[in-house]
Amino acid sequence: MLVNAYSKRVFNLAYQFAGSYQEAEDLTQDIFLKLYSALSKYDFEKNFTAWLLTMAKNHLIDTYRKTKWEKAHRDEFDEQVPATGADRGPESGLAEEADRKLVWEGLNSLAPETRMAVILRDIQDKSYEEVAEILGLPLGTVKSRINRGRLQLARILKEKQQGGLP
Amino acid sequence: MTCERIEELLSAYLEGGLSPAEKELVQGHLAVCPDCASLLALLEKTEKALAGFPELEVSPGLRARLAAIPERKKKFSFSFDFVLKPSLQPVFAAGAVFMTLLSFYLFNPDKRNIDRAIDQKIHSGYSQVEKLYAKAGSFTDRLGDTAENVFVSVKNWKIFGGNEDNPDKI
Repeated sequence: MLVNAYSKRVFNLAYQFAGSYQEAEDLTQDIFLKLYSALSKYDFEKNFTAWLLTMAKNHLIDTYRKTKWEKAHRDEFDEQVPATGADRGPESGLAEEADRKLVWEGLNSLAPETRMAVILRDIQDKSYEEVAEILGLPLGTVKSRINRGRLQLARILKEKQQGGLP
Repeated sequence: MTCERIEELLSAYLEGGLSPAEKELVQGHLAVCPDCASLLALLEKTEKALAGFPELEVSPGLRARLAAIPERKKKFSFSFDFVLKPSLQPVFAAGAVFMTLLSFYLFNPDKRNIDRAIDQKIHSGYSQVEKLYAKAGSFTDRLGDTAENVFVSVKNWKIFGGNEDNPDKI
């Protein structure tokens, strides 16, 4: 069943991109509505996961452009974490936890296309080739976009660590 | 090499995606540029932080809503599915032609004359049908008479015991 196989992946992508749990639920529902409408157009020679994630990416970026979530705050990082806190392991130190919070907040500063590329590569752990297929971009463009996004996040991390917290 | 050029290579450096020559170049620059060395350390932290984001579970409420989508779509599309059947295309074509003619008739500025012409056509058609009916009536009468004459003539043949010379004497 599609819901069992893909809902978690799509929901997490939406949550990481939008930063809001409630927004991510609504977006996931919209993406699945689109998915069921477009199933008849699916080309069986294509990778289904990549096809679905491309659809999800398009919907997330289109909605972002219409609503401009960057004006809204992302959920507090801790808000949804306790349920899966055990997954991070005992070595998860306080400093790392603080970095994670700062990077989570910093994601909203990235342009939507860059944010999506970084999420797919670094959070969803896709290969560069998979990210290129999902985004429909050449491999070189994807690599430089991800590098740019990471550098931007690194600088945000530095600023916030130096006491520039808003 | 400039810091900007080195920055472009930092991700690939961390992921081990550089050629030995490029790697050497980056290492040489990092050894003399504290800014780039600091940026590399931050980049490592950033990547580690991103990789450490937990994966959330889908709430039962959302799962139920997602599972209900196909049923909702079925109900919604029920009333429209039949419209898309190719077998109904001639019906739609005929409907379109009828509507075109109807709109031509209804919105024609010369509608009164068209009405009169249609009236005349209907009346002349009706009178033609009446004439035809009357002709058909007389034809059946004549056919009946002819059949009776043939029957009488056949009966009067000698082989049937009649008198051909005097048909009245049987």
